[in-house]
Amino acid sequence: MTDDITVSRRNFVKGVATGAIGGTLASMGLYSYTESAYNRLPKVARSGQDFGAVRSVKVTAISETSWFNNAHLMEDIKKAGGLLVDQYTIGWGPFGNGKGPGKSSYDEGIAPIKNMLPNDLEAAWAIQAKQSLHPDNPGGFATLIEVEDLDGSKHKYLLDSGWSYTWMDESFKREGIDQMLRAGEIEGLVVSHEHFDHFWGLPVTMKYNNKLPMYIPNTFYKEGKQYIVDSGYKGDPKVADKELTLIRPGMMLVKFDVPIICRVFGELSLAFNVKDKGLVIVSGCNHQGILQMTSTVFSKLKYDNDRFYGLYGGLHISPFEDWDPKYDDLVISLGKWNFEKVGCNHCTGHLTAKKFVERGYPVVRGTARFRSSSPDYLGNGDSLVF
Amino acid sequence: MEAESQSVSYLESRKLVKRWRGPWPAIVNLAMIFVVFGITWWVFQDPRGILRMYTPYLGYMYCRWLLILFIWMAYILDFWPFKREWLNKTHPLLKGVILTVVCVLAMELLIKGFFMGVLGKYGIAYFSPERLHALGVTEFYAEEYATEAIMMFAAIASWLAPAWVVACENAPWQKLPQPARGFTVMIVTFFLATLVYFLTMHSHMAILFYPWQQYTAITPPYWEGFANTVSGNFHIAWIMCCTVTVWVYESIWERYPFNLIKTDWLRRMSAFFGIIAVALCLCFFLFYAQDLAWGLNVRGTRREMAPDWRWLHVGECAIFWLVGVLALSFFGGNWPTRFSRPINVFVRTVISLAIGLAVYYLYYRYAHNFLGTQKGVSHPQQFPMIPTIWLINIWLINMWFMDGWPGWKAVPRTAEELKQVEENIVANDVRWTPSLAKGLLVGAAAGGAVYLALINVMPWVGQIQMIK
Repeated sequence: MTDDITVSRRNFVKGVATGAIGGTLASMGLYSYTESAYNRLPKVARSGQDFGAVRSVKVTAISETSWFNNAHLMEDIKKAGGLLVDQYTIGWGPFGNGKGPGKSSYDEGIAPIKNMLPNDLEAAWAIQAKQSLHPDNPGGFATLIEVEDLDGSKHKYLLDSGWSYTWMDESFKREGIDQMLRAGEIEGLVVSHEHFDHFWGLPVTMKYNNKLPMYIPNTFYKEGKQYIVDSGYKGDPKVADKELTLIRPGMMLVKFDVPIICRVFGELSLAFNVKDKGLVIVSGCNHQGILQMTSTVFSKLKYDNDRFYGLYGGLHISPFEDWDPKYDDLVISLGKWNFEKVGCNHCTGHLTAKKFVERGYPVVRGTARFRSSSPDYLGNGDSLVF
Repeated sequence: MEAESQSVSYLESRKLVKRWRGPWPAIVNLAMIFVVFGITWWVFQDPRGILRMYTPYLGYMYCRWLLILFIWMAYILDFWPFKREWLNKTHPLLKGVILTVVCVLAMELLIKGFFMGVLGKYGIAYFSPERLHALGVTEFYAEEYATEAIMMFAAIASWLAPAWVVACENAPWQKLPQPARGFTVMIVTFFLATLVYFLTMHSHMAILFYPWQQYTAITPPYWEGFANTVSGNFHIAWIMCCTVTVWVYESIWERYPFNLIKTDWLRRMSAFFGIIAVALCLCFFLFYAQDLAWGLNVRGTRREMAPDWRWLHVGECAIFWLVGVLALSFFGGNWPTRFSRPINVFVRTVISLAIGLAVYYLYYRYAHNFLGTQKGVSHPQQFPMIPTIWLINIWLINMWFMDGWPGWKAVPRTAEELKQVEENIVANDVRWTPSLAKGLLVGAAAGGAVYLALINVMPWVGQIQMIK
C-alpha cells in the first residue's frame, strides 16, 4: 500500500514535470502571436516636449557625393576585410600609410600631414594621395542649413564637413561656404557621426574658422577625438550626451546610440518644428533608420499640426547600391508617415530613391549638377525649403 | 515494435569517462577550447585578424556549413569512410585533426564546387559571385549575396539532416549499411532542404535584385502580411528554433516524451512534427517577448525595432539556448541523471535556459571587447550566431571527433549500457497512470502560470542595460 502511494506520488511528479514544460510551450504557441496578446501591449506614451518653432528651414546640399565610384569603395572594403573593419585601418586618405588595404592606422596616416593641417590642405592631400587607396574616389557629405526664426532672423549651420580635402574645399568655394565661415556667418557645425565621408574633411572647415562651435555625439572613438585636435580646432566641442539637445528654439539634436559599419558608434540627427507645417527631419546618414527617428520624435517631441512635414538628407538605405528585403519594408511603410516633402541624397541609394519615386512619394528632384549623378537626388548645389 | 538490427553508431558505442575527478575535465577542456576559439577566431573571422571572413556573410556561411559537415560526418555517415577500428585506436588529437580537415575539404568542395561552381554557374545566378559580378553587382556584394544564399541553405540543412537521425531514426533506411545509409539520408534531406529553401528563402533572394524577380519567385513573398516583413528572416526564426529543438530533444530531453510511443512509424512522425511544433511555440514566444521588452515592432524601421531584425533575433536567442544545452550535455554530464527521466528533463531544461540567458547577457555586455566587433544589440552586419556556432563547432570537434580529450576518454559501452541506449529510442520508464494524468494537468496549469509570469516580467527585463 505504501509502495502504491509512493509510486503514485512519483508518477504524479513525473506528470507535473512533463506538464509544466508542455503547458509553458503550449501557452507560448497558442497565445504569443495572437491579436489578444498584442492588444495587451501599451500604446506609445508621448511626452510631447515643446521645443519651440521656426518659420522655415532651407537646406543646401554643398556636397552629397561622398564617393564617386562605388565599385572602388566596395573593392577597398572587401580587401580590407568587410564592413566591420575599423575605418581608420582601411587605407583611405587622409589615413593611408601605403601598406595596403586593412593595414593603415590613424597615427601612421596622420603623421606626415599633421603639421600641414588645416592651412596647407592641398599639399596634405597630395601626400596622402600617394599612400591611399583610390585617392580620387573620396568626395564627402556636407549641408548648409539656414534656419529662419519666428522673428525673421536667419541662422546658418553646417551639417558635416565631408571627406576629401580638395573636393570639399572646392565645394565650399562653389557655394560660398568659405566666405560664410570666414565672416562668422555660420553659427555652428554639427558633426552627425564619425564616418569618413562626414568627418574626415574637418580640416577644410577649420581652415576657414577653427573656433566654430562644434556639436559631436559622445560616442566618438579616441581617433575621432584626436582628429578634432589635429585638424586645428581651437574651441571646445559641445558633446551631445543626452538623447535630446536643444540648439535653438525649434531646432533639436536627436542622438542615437547605434553601432554602425566600419567601427563607428552613434549618430546625431536634427529635428525642426516648422510653424504651421510640422516636423522636419534633417540627417547626415540616418543610420538609426528614418522610422526610428520618426518614432523617437513622435514619442518625445511636440510639433505643429502633429504631423511629419519634411525629410532631408542621407537616409542610409542602399548606400552601396546593395539591397535587402528589409529596405523594401521601409519603402513600403514610409508612405504611412505622410511626409509632404522628401529630399534624399548621399547614402539613400539611387535604387531607393527610384523606388520612392515609383511609389509616388513626394520626392523633390534635383538637377544632377556638379558630379551628382541622378535627378532623383537632391544633388550638389540643390536647395530645398521647408 | 519491429525487430531492429541496426548496428550501433560510433557515438553510441562509446561512453566518455572522466580522466580526473570533479569538475577538472570540464575546466581543462573548456580552457583549451577557449584558447582554440581565440586563435581560430583571430585567424579566420576577426575583422582585425588575418583572413577577416566576418564580412559578415562569408564567415557566416563557412561557420554554418562546417556545422553541417560535422553532423554529416558524425551522425549521418557514422564517420564513414573511417573504419571503427581506426576510430577506436587512433589518438584523439590526431583523430580530431584528420576528421576536421576532411570535413573542411568536403565543405570547400560543396561550396565552391557544387553551389558556386555548378548551381551558380548553370542554374541560379545568385549562387555564383562571379555571375553576379559579371551582371554588374559590386564584387563585395556579389560575394555577400551568394554566400548569404548558400548560408540560408545551410540553416535549413542544419535542421533537416539531424532531424532525420534523431526523430526519424534513419527510417526507412535504418538497416542499410554505411555509406549507403548515410548517402541516402544526405541526399533525401538535401532534396527536402532544397524544397524548403525555395518555399522560404528564394523569394528573399529574388527581392535583392531590381526589379523584383517576379517571374522566378513569389514577390512580394506570401508571408508578408503574417510576419509584417518581406524578409526571409521570418523563416530563419522558426527554422533555427527547429535546429535547436532537434538537439534539445536529442541531448537534455533524451528523446522524451516521444520515445514513449512504441509504434515505430507513429513515434518517428510524432518526433519529427513534434519538434516543429515545439520550435514554433518557442519562435512565437521569443518574437512576442521582444515586443513586450522593447515595444511594438515598427515595420520599415531598422535594428531592434524592426520586425525583420526581431525574427532574426528569435533564431539568435534559440542558439544562445543551444549553447546552454550543449554545455550541460557535453561538460556537465547531462546533469542531473539520478532522478526519473521527466524530472531530469525538467531540471536540465531550466538549467540550460539559465546558462543560455547568462551567455546572452555576457555576450552583449562584453564580447565586443574580444571579437573585434562593436557593442550594440542590433548592428546590421553583426550576427551573434557566428561566434556562437563557431564555438559549438569547436565543441563538436572536441566531443565527437576527439572523444572529449583530454578531460575525457572513450571506453566501449557494455552490453547493459548499450541496452540502455536503446531505451532512449523506445522507453518504458514512464507509463500512463491516473496519477500521471493528474500530474500532467497540474503541470500544464503551472506551465500556463509560468508563461503568464514571463509575459508580465518581460517589460521590466527590457529595461536592463546590457550595453554600457
